[in-house]
Amino acid sequence: MTTLDAARLTTREINTRLRELQDGAHVTITDPRGRHNLAVGLMNKISITIDGNAGYYAGGLGDGPDITVNGFTGWGVGENLMSGTIRIKGSVSQSAAASAHGGIVIVEGDASLRAGISLKGGTLAIAGDAGNLTGFMAQAGTILIGGNAGEALGDSLYEATIYVAGDIENLGADAMRTDLTEDDVTAVKQLCAQVGFEHISPQEVTKVTSARRLYHFTTQHASAY
Amino acid sequence: MCGIAGLALKDPALESNLGAMLSGMLTALSERGPDSAGVAIYSHPSELAVTKDVGHAAHICEKFAIPRANGYQGVGHTRMATESAVTKEHCHPFVPAGGVCVVHNGSFSNHATIRRELIRQGIGFDSDNDSEVAARYIALRLSHGDDLKNALQAMAATMDGFYTLLVTTPTEFAVARDPIACKPAVIAQTDRYVAMASEYRALADLPAVKDAKVFEPTGVHTWTL
Repeated sequence: MTTLDAARLTTREINTRLRELQDGAHVTITDPRGRHNLAVGLMNKISITIDGNAGYYAGGLGDGPDITVNGFTGWGVGENLMSGTIRIKGSVSQSAAASAHGGIVIVEGDASLRAGISLKGGTLAIAGDAGNLTGFMAQAGTILIGGNAGEALGDSLYEATIYVAGDIENLGADAMRTDLTEDDVTAVKQLCAQVGFEHISPQEVTKVTSARRLYHFTTQHASAY
Repeated sequence: MCGIAGLALKDPALESNLGAMLSGMLTALSERGPDSAGVAIYSHPSELAVTKDVGHAAHICEKFAIPRANGYQGVGHTRMATESAVTKEHCHPFVPAGGVCVVHNGSFSNHATIRRELIRQGIGFDSDNDSEVAARYIALRLSHGDDLKNALQAMAATMDGFYTLLVTTPTEFAVARDPIACKPAVIAQTDRYVAMASEYRALADLPAVKDAKVFEPTGVHTWTL
């Protein structure tokens, strides 16, 4: 087990050391003190624990590592994630998993606004509540919300799927509730098992998808704009 | 971009360290506001000391001996001016009424209109700063009998723009954000204090912050001391 002390190393030194580790390595970053850009842009299959609260873009652009954050993260945790797992034990600030192409971001607390914005194929699982504009313009992938969703859920949604276990304050433009199929129930069940969420009843979630009126423009819909 | 730091103490044993803690928080936010800074310290029995100047936060804290200040509540601001000039008069905190402090990160788009309306009601201004308009508006509502939460909700309904505001009175500590919430705010709450900052980095040195409840507030939050 390697330990990197953020109190003694610069962010660039930490990320360089992480990049040099062989696949299968385990490393702990201690005393992160809300530092931004920790463990970004890594392509090796290593296991990283950030032991405390992290700043912006933790684990962003990752294509391999599995990361656990023992605390809160700032904006954009797992932004542009390509593969791998990021598990946040606390709550997260805005734009979690923004534009994530693959991999999975697991939030054990709550997520603030715009979680899953422009999601491009990744998976975002939030145990608690999600703030306003969750799933804004999400193009592909899955968002699971174990608690309640805020305002304008799925605004301008493309082809991502959102499942909500709790209440939805309101839906955004062009988002709609869709009937739950057996495949959906199976997918939610598998995702809950994968991320360890035991408080969600897969048969009782609400599914939200795009009504496809905004991005398939026809003159008959002009009044909707 | 600006930086906001605030600290409301529940444990009197911390009061002799308030200035030191607040100086540390503010200095950590100097990159968010390099042109000027200001500090307000509330101390017993009913004193409010406000200091502000043009320059780097660390220099201003040292110049006014903030690290040695005692108190039960403190507010700090680092400014990156976008709407009006870099002068002492344009620095935050604004004190629009006895005991009321307002600091702001963001910009108001209808401040000129609201300023004209307030001037018609006999309200005076010290600067052409947009944040001062919000401060005067909040003070006016308080003078009409609103409690702080209602005053901030009225401000939110009247003032248009982007804002994270930290507003304090001798007995209250409040954070208000616009619905888009693109100006950051993080709260750390423990049995001994409530702290707010633009970024978690500024909270990292507070006592036992690792065990604090850390979250991002939205809308209007108030705490009574």
